[in-house]
Amino acid sequence: MLLRLTALTKRYPAVTALDGLTLEVPRGLIGLVGANGAGKSTMFRLLLGLTQPTEGHIQVCGVDVAADPIEVRSRLGYMPEHDCLPLDQTAADVVSTFGELSGLPRRAARQRASDILDLVGLDEARFRPIGGFSTGMRQRTKLAQALVGDPELVLLDEPTAGLDPLGREEMLALVARLGTFGISVIMATHLLDDVQQVCDHVVMIDAGRLVVAGETASLLDRTGAVTVDVGRHHDELVAGLARAGVAAAVVNGAVEATVDGDLQLDLVRDVVADLGLPLFRLSTRLTSLDEVFLRSAGGPE
Amino acid sequence: MSAAAESPGARRGAVYDRSYRPYEGPRGRRAAATAALYRASIRRALGLRRSWRQKVAPFVLLAVVSVPAIVNVGIGYITRERRLPIEIITYRDYVGVSSALLLFVALVAPDVMCPDRRQRVLPLMFSRPLVGTDYVVAKVGSITTILFAFSFLPQVVLFVGNMLVSDSALDYFTGHLDVLWHVPASVALLAVYYAVVGCAVASLTDRRIVAGASVIGLFLVTSIASAVIVDNGPDRGPSPGSPGALVNVLRLPLYLRDLVFLGHVDPASPLGGVDRGGMYAVGLYVAVLGLGLGVLWRRYRWVER
Repeated sequence: MLLRLTALTKRYPAVTALDGLTLEVPRGLIGLVGANGAGKSTMFRLLLGLTQPTEGHIQVCGVDVAADPIEVRSRLGYMPEHDCLPLDQTAADVVSTFGELSGLPRRAARQRASDILDLVGLDEARFRPIGGFSTGMRQRTKLAQALVGDPELVLLDEPTAGLDPLGREEMLALVARLGTFGISVIMATHLLDDVQQVCDHVVMIDAGRLVVAGETASLLDRTGAVTVDVGRHHDELVAGLARAGVAAAVVNGAVEATVDGDLQLDLVRDVVADLGLPLFRLSTRLTSLDEVFLRSAGGPE
Repeated sequence: MSAAAESPGARRGAVYDRSYRPYEGPRGRRAAATAALYRASIRRALGLRRSWRQKVAPFVLLAVVSVPAIVNVGIGYITRERRLPIEIITYRDYVGVSSALLLFVALVAPDVMCPDRRQRVLPLMFSRPLVGTDYVVAKVGSITTILFAFSFLPQVVLFVGNMLVSDSALDYFTGHLDVLWHVPASVALLAVYYAVVGCAVASLTDRRIVAGASVIGLFLVTSIASAVIVDNGPDRGPSPGSPGALVNVLRLPLYLRDLVFLGHVDPASPLGGVDRGGMYAVGLYVAVLGLGLGVLWRRYRWVER
């Protein structure tokens, strides 16, 4: 088990950042989702042992954080959201220094810094001062310093923040590759699309409380809606489905019908046939994580 | 790995995707991380792996503090036939010359401490197997090491030079055995003191220029305050000293130097003749070190911040 939280609570004088979180997360690519102020950064600080929980226990990679925070930190890599790099040093120097700080011998750290910078696409720029880097290159350098110590788990705080669409895609592709190297990732973000794209597990928190957690695929399967494209005949189909007892509405130029099981799916097909409408598409509509989040966060507790 | 298509007689080429290789070698913990930070701080302080501008100040200062030794040895060499015991500067005085390294501290301590806070590098460091105490040990240790080296190397030049230009190198060596521990001990006291005070002041701000000015300001203000107190104090007759001299935190380690070299405070110093002046100096030295380390410990007590 990658992460085991038991009744985890963190209170500050003015606010409760995390409130009784109990959770088990398996190894893999994990998305930690929540709005700004939901408690994501506090969670990372707790996982790193940089702050103590008010109540509860944390186990990371099987190690009790309270009992041995140094051991936990030696197994983790951390990429903060904010700028955190010494701008007057080269990427190679910074990454190799952080490799040494992770406990690697000097020569191994320099070798790994070179390899990792190559991996993140900075092999050409590694001897340039970071002050001259673009936002995307700085994000890659931050990722490289997190990886140089060969961590079991990498904590990524908003890794796509400030990136243009191409940079974002490249960063997400890099994150997805980490899973193939056997490195687990917890990616904190408020961008649900990012999580949906790369993460196989999702943990959603809101105002310090657990909203929902589980496999991304299983969360997305809960929709129960189909999209029916019948050209311009939306209104006819909606009326026909209503007569047949199937709730439907026009959404983004197509009809979305809520179905419960295969029988109702057949019913939708039959209604289209009975009305003599052209059927261009009939597909299961996967819900987005946005909807899961909004539904779960807004639902009764 | 994918290999290019082979053709007979052609030079074989290959494209390697090195991908990601896990590290399976030895791995250190706190001590290794502290040592790594110590080495990185020394490199930064000396401007190594940085632009040439960053290297100018430390090595110019090393040259400046070496000048008296070189001049002393040079004169000794020129006058060696005349058998004149010319000694421009003594080993004890030379420790005082090293107090010019205060300028170096005002320059380097902020450069080693402030960017970590200003550029928000600290969260990255403390996400490693490192705690606040380790950070302080590495930073103070690096500046202490450089100060010690910059103070000690000129003394080595002086000692070896004097030995070589003397009539008998062996006699000079055996006649100055006490110097072999006086100098390192007093230089170490000076280096630790300036490093702790410099780092403590620099830890209070994230702006280098403010930190540098504060270090110099602290020493200047206390020097002036001490001079005013000593000059305007009650008449002490033939004794020139006053307890007010202890206010001068710049000079404080030099009283300890006197204790090392002479066994007592120099009677000609501002603290000379003060009853138990040496003991007060030691107490205040320890108190200032303790205060400085306390400030540093509090500033870098990362947990629960």
